[in-house]
Amino acid sequence: MDDKIRRIYVPMTESGFYILYCLQTPQHGYGISQQVRKMTAGAVNISAGTMYGALSKMEKDGLIKFHSEVEKRKLYNITELGEEVLSAETARIDRLYRNSKGEYLG
Amino acid sequence: MTKKVTRFFTIADYLEEENWLREMHSQGWKIVKIKAPCFYTFESCEPEDVIYRLDFRNTEKPEDYLQMVSDFGWEHIGDCLGWMYFRRPADTAASEEEGELFSDNESKAEMVKNIVRTRMMPLVVIFLCSVLPNFFRILNGEYVGPWGAVFSVLFCLLFILYVYLIIHCGIKLKKIKDRYKD
Repeated sequence: MDDKIRRIYVPMTESGFYILYCLQTPQHGYGISQQVRKMTAGAVNISAGTMYGALSKMEKDGLIKFHSEVEKRKLYNITELGEEVLSAETARIDRLYRNSKGEYLG
Repeated sequence: MTKKVTRFFTIADYLEEENWLREMHSQGWKIVKIKAPCFYTFESCEPEDVIYRLDFRNTEKPEDYLQMVSDFGWEHIGDCLGWMYFRRPADTAASEEEGELFSDNESKAEMVKNIVRTRMMPLVVIFLCSVLPNFFRILNGEYVGPWGAVFSVLFCLLFILYVYLIIHCGIKLKKIKDRYKD
């Protein structure tokens, strides 16, 4: 992961994190938003424009790639770089969570 | 029955435009056609609470974007000068975000930045490179004769229009963008 990617995506937006997480299995934009809503019991809703923008940007930066097209809908899935970013983010959020519970890691 | 309405909105007034279209629909007038720069055609309909949203995409209008937006429950009405018009009945939006095209501040601010970059900047460049120099020439009395007078009046009006538009849009777009800052 180069510095540019790190600067943009670590830390990343909440929508971005959920989108990247969901793309561990190939999906299209609307499918992702449905899954995120289910995962978070409706707490996180990603709108159409935000979804489209995030997918375009992540594809351009190589975090996800085009997988296939089904009925005019583009399906994407995560790349190796995307997985690297996702695990860096997961580690950061895990640290944040443990610290928020008063845990000292060092 | 249809009616035509002329109303001008600047590039910084899209939120007012959304509210106006919603208001019209609740009074039984739904928009069917938008023609540049400021002509709206409405058709009479059952009064209904319908959310209207504008999206600014100056470049291409990708098929897959229209597909995605329609998957999310929006009807695409049409496009005008880089703006895409969408609507959905208010009762189909279960959450606040479902009634928006953009659900986080980053993507909302991104659209404003895009408007500034592709609409506001050209306006400023034309003003600095053409309107302003001509205005100074007029002040120097370089344009003479009857045509010179017509030209002078024209450029003075243009000067006022540009100053107004740049100040109005500049301040307003900045205000909108600041609202989305964390």
